[in-house]
Amino acid sequence: MLEARLEQANLFKKVVDAIKDLVQDCNFDCNDSGIALQAMDNSHVALVSMMLRSESFAPFRCDRNIALGINLTSLTKVLKCAQSDDILTLKAEDAPDVVELVFESAESDRISEYSIKLMDIDQEHLGIPETDYGATISMPAAEFQRICRDLIALSESVSIECSKEGVKFACQGDIGSGAVTLRQHTNVDKPEMNVEINMSEPVSLTFSLKYLVNFCKASGLSNQVRLCLSNEVPLLVEYSLANNSHLRFYLAPKIGDEE
Amino acid sequence: MPPKPRSKQSAKTTSAAPDAEPSAPAKTLPPSDANPRKLFILPKDATPDARIVTLSNPATRTPNRYFHCPKHGFYEFTKIAAPKKSPRSWLIADQGVGKNEEGVKKGDSQEESTRSSSSSSGYIAKAADLFIATPFDPLFFLLPVLQPKDAKAKSLFLASDDYLDAMGETSPHMRHLFQTPITRTLLERRMADICDHVSAGQEKMYRINHDKVLAEFLHKAERMIANGLPASMEEKFVRTALQKPVTSVKEETDISRVEAPVEKSGAEPMILADAADVAESQSSAAETSQDSQSSFDSTATASTAATSISIAASSEITLSSPKIPIIDAPEGIPHLLRLRTALTFLTSSYLPPTLRTLITTTLTSSTTPNIPSFAPLNAHLAALATLRAEQAALRSISDNISRKRAHADDDDEVAEARAEKKRRKEEEDKKKRNESRAVKQLKKVDTSGMKKLSSFFTKK
Repeated sequence: MLEARLEQANLFKKVVDAIKDLVQDCNFDCNDSGIALQAMDNSHVALVSMMLRSESFAPFRCDRNIALGINLTSLTKVLKCAQSDDILTLKAEDAPDVVELVFESAESDRISEYSIKLMDIDQEHLGIPETDYGATISMPAAEFQRICRDLIALSESVSIECSKEGVKFACQGDIGSGAVTLRQHTNVDKPEMNVEINMSEPVSLTFSLKYLVNFCKASGLSNQVRLCLSNEVPLLVEYSLANNSHLRFYLAPKIGDEE
Repeated sequence: MPPKPRSKQSAKTTSAAPDAEPSAPAKTLPPSDANPRKLFILPKDATPDARIVTLSNPATRTPNRYFHCPKHGFYEFTKIAAPKKSPRSWLIADQGVGKNEEGVKKGDSQEESTRSSSSSSGYIAKAADLFIATPFDPLFFLLPVLQPKDAKAKSLFLASDDYLDAMGETSPHMRHLFQTPITRTLLERRMADICDHVSAGQEKMYRINHDKVLAEFLHKAERMIANGLPASMEEKFVRTALQKPVTSVKEETDISRVEAPVEKSGAEPMILADAADVAESQSSAAETSQDSQSSFDSTATASTAATSISIAASSEITLSSPKIPIIDAPEGIPHLLRLRTALTFLTSSYLPPTLRTLITTTLTSSTTPNIPSFAPLNAHLAALATLRAEQAALRSISDNISRKRAHADDDDEVAEARAEKKRRKEEEDKKKRNESRAVKQLKKVDTSGMKKLSSFFTKK
């Protein structure tokens, strides 16, 4: 039996919105520590990993491990029926056929109940090792989103170069080239505007912008985004959530050709 | 092998082993004999000069053992063995045999005594083989030498001495045998039966005449079938060959029964080849006949207790007659087929291959009135063959039908599979419709140079 009450439906809506453009169906693995999700896109070059800790919910009850196989498009449809500040409760039996979603409007005593049929999804889980990245960049999520959107107008891929000077997003396209460089920057008034670069070695990697733009759909979830890079390993784009929860994206770098 | 004079040898387990193997007095019990004794049944009126000789087998040109009695001529050995599946042994108890013998035959006391001394304690022969000497027409020995080696060459008139010399070349023992006048005259008489001969002064000159050979063989074949063919031959070559295909195809069993003769019909032309295999060696030929006489065999084994073989043989004949249900064939056809079967057996067992084909062609081409025409038989067999072919065709059709019916079940499966496929496809379509635009667009992204994440992260 699962029962997870989320104070703000908005969080779940945004998370699902961010994921749904990357994967179609996925399992929400529920256990007593919370709700986790790991899924890859169709091409298996990007991976999304979500962790909503039980502390995010009040109350959270999960008697045994349940995997809820949900089509994200369907879930999006249902979530659209919820107002941003509705209280969302996820409910499921121990061996469920459906997952129930209850939206309670605090203002108007309105209770809406929806259920979504579950599906069996065969998904391989990847073990993601703790990595000491060569460079870790924290920046405003909106800034990252803007850079990606600007550069995709020129090219499909972006090279992210991290050096002492700062981090340089550069692209080379048919119509010309573009580059955005960010330097370490501390804004005392608005800490969310800080740009922080921690680097142990210079890193230069190229990524598909389309995927990055896709990841940026999670920008609404967090003020800051963390980019972790190391040569020859996937890029980690992490959006931190409250209560130690997170939404992480991994993207394989482009190696060889083109550049 | 003509079933002629088996009756001639009566209860004669007597002149058994010692004749052939005059060795090894078994005072102590040796572990096993390196040269085990063999049990022979020899003609009772054989003279003391009779010998086992090695002569060239007329059909295979390999040396074979024959029994020769100066007075009565040649005998071949027919080996009767227990089937491999039920191994048996001979217990040759001298005591019992001796007592029996006293009644039958008191004479030859000298031989008696040697034997009793040698095997007074009894003897167990591991192999339950019984070798029976049956009269053998010396004609068969003559034919290979009478027939010129090159079939096309014009055969010449030659003196009997020349032929006999040629025979002596192949089988050295023969040279000694025709020293005895009786054997020589016997050989010459048989030679005269199948040859044209002219007199050149004192000497008679001979040349083989194939028509005469054929007539001789026909005569033998007639005699062979006079008492009916051995049961297994009758069954295999006559009954199944003449069996009419069953017309009904409704039941599976019928179909299978139709099938059987269709297979056998192929065997008809194969008789010769089949029998030729059989005739590869004298003993193996004998084994076939032994096969055919399995009923006889069991009785023969029992004859250790001095049962007479003639009873066994005759019992076999009487047995075979009531066993045979009526063969459904036009008048004379079964007889013709039996005759041909007998002829095929004779020619393949006792004739060299060159002569065999010659006889077969003479048989088919000859228009001599005293040679029966096999035309009606051929016509009947051809008719049967076409009938069977039709049946087979019909069967395959009906087979198809039944297969179709089986297919009907398959069809369900196929339909199921198809439905499954359709369902899956629909699901896929649905999935596609459910796909968000972004996911669709993401599919178009150029992922070249991007390794799959599974190459970075290990599977759990």
